[in-house]
Amino acid sequence: MERSTPTGSRPFAYGRGLRTLSICTVLAMAVALGLVFFYAPLEAEQGFLQKIFYVHVPLAIITLCGFVLGGLLAIQHLRTRDQRWDYRSYVVIHMSLIFAIGTLITGSIWAKGSWGHWWVWSEPTLVSFLIIVLLYATYQPLRFAIEDPERQARYASVFAITAGAFVPMNFIAVRLSTAYLHPRVLGSTSNLPGPMALTFLVSLLAMALLFATLCKYELTAKHARAQVRALRRRLAGDTAPGRARSAAPTLQHVGTVPARAAGRSAV
Amino acid sequence: MIPAAVLAALSPTGEIPALPLHTAGKYVAGAYIVLFVLVLVYVAIMAVRLSHIEAELGDLLSMTEHSDGEADHAPGAGREHADARDPGAPQLDERRESAPA
Repeated sequence: MERSTPTGSRPFAYGRGLRTLSICTVLAMAVALGLVFFYAPLEAEQGFLQKIFYVHVPLAIITLCGFVLGGLLAIQHLRTRDQRWDYRSYVVIHMSLIFAIGTLITGSIWAKGSWGHWWVWSEPTLVSFLIIVLLYATYQPLRFAIEDPERQARYASVFAITAGAFVPMNFIAVRLSTAYLHPRVLGSTSNLPGPMALTFLVSLLAMALLFATLCKYELTAKHARAQVRALRRRLAGDTAPGRARSAAPTLQHVGTVPARAAGRSAV
Repeated sequence: MIPAAVLAALSPTGEIPALPLHTAGKYVAGAYIVLFVLVLVYVAIMAVRLSHIEAELGDLLSMTEHSDGEADHAPGAGREHADARDPGAPQLDERRESAPA
């Protein structure tokens, strides 16, 4: 049943469909793990160690896609000036950064097993990925450095777009480089044997679902907290938005209906 | 120690993998544990946040109960009065307006 906000506008709920998404994620992860360990054959050269790729490569792909998505959402924010797009961009980049750390750790574990070193500085794929991670590591400090929420959102969006454009450029540059020490998986799925390709695709889907679920959890939690704070202010008789210095975007609307769209001032 | 013949049988091409199972196993386990730990840490953070929201909601509930108590004792304060002011207004607004500033 649809409920309405005090102004009669439709409420926005980030938690909608969260349960279904969570169940799908758990199922996909279980199927992916089952395929990895009981269905996919051992790779001839790397043997059992190759199983790391079913977690490492999907993590890397989703991370890079997440960074690009963050840029696209930031474009939408600059186009519409709707705070929700900045909020989504922030959460997607935040989650991508967590996935990036997972990618670096799993990649290092594989490198140690395969090459005998945790990190190889002469490998362009590793170094370029680290550059991207370090670039995005400045996103949160950038946001925190700007106190004015409007300016913070605008600058963060510009950063997200610029950095998001850098990601595919960087990817192409690495592909064009001459060193081919790093195993190529993306773009060569058709060369994989059927069971391996299926396992990889299911793992990729599971990782994408995990990313989407965690982003939705984050959005819902932050939104719920913003709503509780807004309610507290209203109960205290304080109509001013009120904001502590934070890197996270502040949702100033209880129903998160953008002020401009609703034609009224923010609560 | 796993015999080479067993490992060779496990490999689809019959070749012995670069790293034997007992050596590669710890790296593979490590990689999957990293993913598991990342998700687990995230769930733990979410649990802490949820408990904060729950605590804040508890505070808000006690605030509204306190406001209700004061509104009931105020002269002339009543449900009819609040409804007459704005029948469509949500309950929280009524409470806030009824409560002394």
